[in-house]
Amino acid sequence: MKKSFILLFIYVYLFSSFRILNEKSFIVPTGFPEPAYDFSKNILTTEKIELGRALFYDPILSRDNSISCSSCHSVYNSFAHTDHDLSHGIDDLIGTRNAPALINLAWHKSFMWDGAVNHLEVQALAPITHPKEMDESMNHIVFKLSQSDLYTKLFMNAYNDTSITGEKILKALTQFQLIFVSSSSRYDSMTQKQIKFTYQEENGYNLFKKNCNTCHAEPLFSTYTFANNGLGLDTTLNDFGRMQITKERSDSLKFKIPTLRNIEYSPPYMHDGRFKSLFAVLNHYTSGIHQTTNLAPELKSPIILSENEKVDLIAFLLTLSDKKFIFNPDFSYPRELFAK
Amino acid sequence: MVFCVFLLSLYSSHGQNDTVHFEINFTFNKEDLQLNKYYLLNGTDSVEINTLKFYISAISLLHNGETVWKEANSFHLIDAELNKSTKFDLAVKEGVIYDKFRFNLGIDSLTNVSGAMGNDLDPSKNMYWTWQSGYINFKLEGRSNVCLARKNEFKFHLGGYQFPYNCIQQVEFTLPQPDLIHLQIDLAEIISELRFGELDHIMSPSFSAMELSSSIAKKIRLRIP
Repeated sequence: MKKSFILLFIYVYLFSSFRILNEKSFIVPTGFPEPAYDFSKNILTTEKIELGRALFYDPILSRDNSISCSSCHSVYNSFAHTDHDLSHGIDDLIGTRNAPALINLAWHKSFMWDGAVNHLEVQALAPITHPKEMDESMNHIVFKLSQSDLYTKLFMNAYNDTSITGEKILKALTQFQLIFVSSSSRYDSMTQKQIKFTYQEENGYNLFKKNCNTCHAEPLFSTYTFANNGLGLDTTLNDFGRMQITKERSDSLKFKIPTLRNIEYSPPYMHDGRFKSLFAVLNHYTSGIHQTTNLAPELKSPIILSENEKVDLIAFLLTLSDKKFIFNPDFSYPRELFAK
Repeated sequence: MVFCVFLLSLYSSHGQNDTVHFEINFTFNKEDLQLNKYYLLNGTDSVEINTLKFYISAISLLHNGETVWKEANSFHLIDAELNKSTKFDLAVKEGVIYDKFRFNLGIDSLTNVSGAMGNDLDPSKNMYWTWQSGYINFKLEGRSNVCLARKNEFKFHLGGYQFPYNCIQQVEFTLPQPDLIHLQIDLAEIISELRFGELDHIMSPSFSAMELSSSIAKKIRLRIP
């Protein structure tokens, strides 16, 4: 019985030291499908999101403390990396792919251009350990963070415990990235009947529905599946995309279909950033398709667009720009944390 | 809430378990294995093992072919460098009668697609592939003069959870006596089957990874006292 009282004392002590974390509900925008991410296993809290935000912007995640996630995923580019066809990382080393925009990640079923990563929580491991990106190891990051007063505090706030583990780091980073929801574009206002498209935008929207909607399906503007969209192989990279993961010839040159949301903010385009402008992209689809046996069936017959239609289609694509997303203070550099 | 947990602890402290001790040992030609030590191979060549880490998961006990007990959250990272990782106790419910012990060598596909995990499954344990999702089920690294690779190194990182490269292995033993499960792997048996001149590394899911995983699983023996 004495043992039981000691146990009771320990429980009371433990529970009294717990604080209630501020649970944050994830709001699915009107018209969006159910997310693919299972929030019940990593319940969003303000404190974990704050920790994830600090980690996302902190170069401590790289070998020499020089590169952070935000180095290649800048909020002003919808978390893509503008002006670089191929993203560069530690020691100015240049990778083999264009950093994709991070938008509406809760709906993605796989990650990376080739779908190499099967879950958002383990995605960060790829850039963290890549010798041309951050070139760091998870156990060394755990060590570095354990030496930091800031992170001791942030982990305590987030997990009621100062112990730092790979799992906690990855789940906090995930929470921050899950809140990157874009659903406040002009297109969204139109679908909610708050505004009307201009004649040009309307015409562009009709052209989009006729030519692009199968792969870039509304409202996420992607099916998040893989397709060969007729880009010829760049022999300086020899990147065969999805085939490198599945080892199936039928997956040769297939890449994950990117969303078109915030496309205005995230040039250059394609997995290797080969097109600098939306005009160049449309010219590829109308006259640059490289015919191969596994070309996406939608592209087997050429897409025909006049020059005026291309302008209208681009006018529609610009309605997918979400300024609230780009300037959302919750997404920006956490100056207040790092200034101390 | 506190009271409920308290009651639960009273209840569970009265529930009885049989402790079944699990242990796995490593040998090289029947001598205790020492990491980073050169051993003779075939009389002329030499081999040194630097890393030996692998997962044992889904431990269960059977009686007459029926599963009678399963370990909850059954994931154990065995590391030849950490003696304490090679032995642990299984809290088997009292009175369970069993004649067979079963486990998986490696991590199941559901766990492989369920995001970031903790404890022995934490990605900071260096048993998770980073460029492509998935656990490394079995890691064997070392050096041999027969290896043509840089610094004569060999590296076998065996994993893969998706068809057709799923390389998890189920292993089971009929137990002559309960309460003690003592396994053994003789590394010389594994190494002697490798052809370093032809294959000195495996780093991704592949048929070679499956073949080697299956061969290693067959080298796990029950140590009869």
